[in-house]
Amino acid sequence: MEQIRVLIAKPGLDGHDRGALVIAQALRDHGMEVIYTGLRQSPVQIVQAAIQEDVDVIGLSSLSGAHNTLFPKVMEELKNKNAADIPVVGGGVIPAEDIPYLLKEGVRKIFTSGSSTEALALYIKQLIQPEDQIKAPEKIAHIGIAVKEIDNALPFYTDTLGLTLEGVETVESEGVKTAFLKIGESRIELLEPLRDDSPIQQFLTKKGEGIHHIALEADNLQDRLNTMKMEGVPLINEEPKAGAHDSQVAFVHPKAANGVLFELCQHPEGSEQ
Amino acid sequence: MSDNTFQSNKGNWEASVNKTLDRFPERKDQFTTTSDIEVNRLYHPDEDETYEEKLGYPGEYPYTRGIQPTMYRSRFWTMRQYAGFGSAKETNERFRYLLDQGQTGLSVAFDLPTQIGYDSDDVMAEGEVGKVGVAIDSLHDMELLLDQIPLDKVSTSMTINAPASVLLCMYLAVGEKQGVPLEKLTGTIQNDILKEYIARGTYIFPPKPSMRLITNIFEFCHEQVPKFNTISISGYHIREAGSTAVQEVAFTLADGMAYVDAALEAGLDIDAFAPRLAFFFNAHNNFLEEVAKFRAARRIWARIMKEHYQAKNPKSWKLRFHTQTGGSTLTAQQPDNNVVRVTMQALAAVLGGTQSLHTNSRDEALSLPTEESARIALRTQQIIAHESGVADTADPLGGSYYVESLTDRIEEEVNKYLDQINDIGGAVKAVEEGYMQREIQRTAYETQKNIENDEEIIVGLNAFKSEEEIEPDLLKVDETLEAEQINSVEKARSERDQDAVDNALVTLRKKAQDSSANLIPHILHAVKVYATVGEICNVLRDEFGEYTGV
Repeated sequence: MEQIRVLIAKPGLDGHDRGALVIAQALRDHGMEVIYTGLRQSPVQIVQAAIQEDVDVIGLSSLSGAHNTLFPKVMEELKNKNAADIPVVGGGVIPAEDIPYLLKEGVRKIFTSGSSTEALALYIKQLIQPEDQIKAPEKIAHIGIAVKEIDNALPFYTDTLGLTLEGVETVESEGVKTAFLKIGESRIELLEPLRDDSPIQQFLTKKGEGIHHIALEADNLQDRLNTMKMEGVPLINEEPKAGAHDSQVAFVHPKAANGVLFELCQHPEGSEQ
Repeated sequence: MSDNTFQSNKGNWEASVNKTLDRFPERKDQFTTTSDIEVNRLYHPDEDETYEEKLGYPGEYPYTRGIQPTMYRSRFWTMRQYAGFGSAKETNERFRYLLDQGQTGLSVAFDLPTQIGYDSDDVMAEGEVGKVGVAIDSLHDMELLLDQIPLDKVSTSMTINAPASVLLCMYLAVGEKQGVPLEKLTGTIQNDILKEYIARGTYIFPPKPSMRLITNIFEFCHEQVPKFNTISISGYHIREAGSTAVQEVAFTLADGMAYVDAALEAGLDIDAFAPRLAFFFNAHNNFLEEVAKFRAARRIWARIMKEHYQAKNPKSWKLRFHTQTGGSTLTAQQPDNNVVRVTMQALAAVLGGTQSLHTNSRDEALSLPTEESARIALRTQQIIAHESGVADTADPLGGSYYVESLTDRIEEEVNKYLDQINDIGGAVKAVEEGYMQREIQRTAYETQKNIENDEEIIVGLNAFKSEEEIEPDLLKVDETLEAEQINSVEKARSERDQDAVDNALVTLRKKAQDSSANLIPHILHAVKVYATVGEICNVLRDEFGEYTGV
């Protein structure tokens, strides 16, 4: 594997380089070759350095409030020099409301105060070496619907809609009985609580019957969870656990997705295909 | 023994208390706790030799317990909030608001182009005009900045380094226009170039000509502006860049010694300039270490000045300092928690005997502070001053086993660093070799790793995270300001007497080539005819060259 080359640059007049220096050192510790430009670099100088040093990624740091002017100038200069394929990430004191504009201008990601150097290193690795990159989930594995009793709920799905019941399974650890109904490449999963302390019972008590979660088919589950954790995505399960059909599953906290509970599930090769 | 007159003893202290009380009576006839217990002016052990040698009495050598005999019983520290953004006119409004709110001194933040000697219309200034402070191009802007602020009553601190001479001259010129004689002007210029190379980054010229400008200022002000603090030797930025408390004190005092050496080399008498040296430290989170740090810094400096440099005037021995709470300790997460951090840091500065204090606003990890946040920050100081009771006796933590032991240990460790820097050949040489820079980077990186490994807990960042983050209101600098400021500098250039400017700049260039000349009178002349910061600095850039880093 070739060593990733990174240019860390300080555009503008800002002299706060603690963050830039710490990041440069951290990326070196992650095995990358890091070139630090020093202070007061113009967008032209930064792009020149990036091309000369043949870097894989540029990191811009600004704490003086000039990011909205200077970061887009770097992007523009990259285009002028036919080097727009070099991805750019940014960091510093950057208010949340400025981030959408910078992303629109082509900056890949903004790491603000409190971001971990681990998350940045991981992000750069995945950006540069896409063979290691974790792919987006491929499909909706199933939609989970909480019901009081599967027997009462089933006729709507089997008789009215005419879906095929694949089977009923009990997951002791979750205190839940599940029924799977196949629909295209996905399924509908009916969930009935077996005990009072079952999460499904808690859901029913709080919200009544209805859609409980959406499950996404996701390979490399453990890596994916590690990445999400590093990026600060709130997780209910940081480690995969056993789910129905011999699958491995983990839940993402609903606050990560506007109140929607997502399950990530990885099925053993060949099953549920 | 000749030293006896300077030896701290109770008799000397009591005599100076009486003298101080004539000038600055105490705030109350009697200080008491809520339970009506009387609070004494000072608590101390029965006199013994180690006590007097290591601690002494407040206002007495070696000043471990403070530099004034009655400390805050007479006068609180100066509450000095650093402010400035956008245009001179807007900043002037903020200043007048802060003075109305009971602030007792002004502190000017300049934008980066001003700090690095570029006019607002310079290509290098793009995107930076008015962002982190006020944009000053010519005397015209300084006149707007200080409009209706009585310079004979208000002291002004200016965070300006490489072009400190230019901004100081503009201040003097405005004072003159207000009819205030130079000898009545009070204030401070930061003027500490060494820490710019070490940590802050707003350098222009290489170390040697920079040191010349600084000694030129010392000399000029000693003769003509005697009440102005000509330098604020700053550990603040060294700490922000990631140093430890010990490194902060060590590198700052090493820089201080380099300035003293440069001034002595320029032929100045130590007691002529040393009383105008001021310091600027950081207040971070480790509460008792910070208190000990300030006490140790005072004792070390007193000993350096008296024993090493043989200064005779006790004013030369006193380390007077400004404190700002630690910007890098603030978190963008759960910003209201920062109010608590700032309170503890401010309290450490007060218990450490600071002369003036800036408390940071809770939203500074996110953007420049809003007016509301800046008000809470000032109120924090007022609550400490008026409600906590810690200002009612001098050095209340003196005598704590832990604090005294920390004070001693910090002194030891600082002295080790000072010896090391001395071996390298002094602070200027150490800076040129990047010694301090490397030491700080090493500590900064270790800190980051400790936080990421959860070995160091930052509430709200790597522990006790909140489910919901509130979006605070943030201050936005008007993006049209840059264009307005560019128009304004162009207008100022078109309205001035261009021949006078050209002549002033030619003279300045000639004098810059003569290393024995004092440049300040020539810079003063140039600013009075409305030469700009950029024009003056460009002449000096041509002659002195530019520093480009280690």
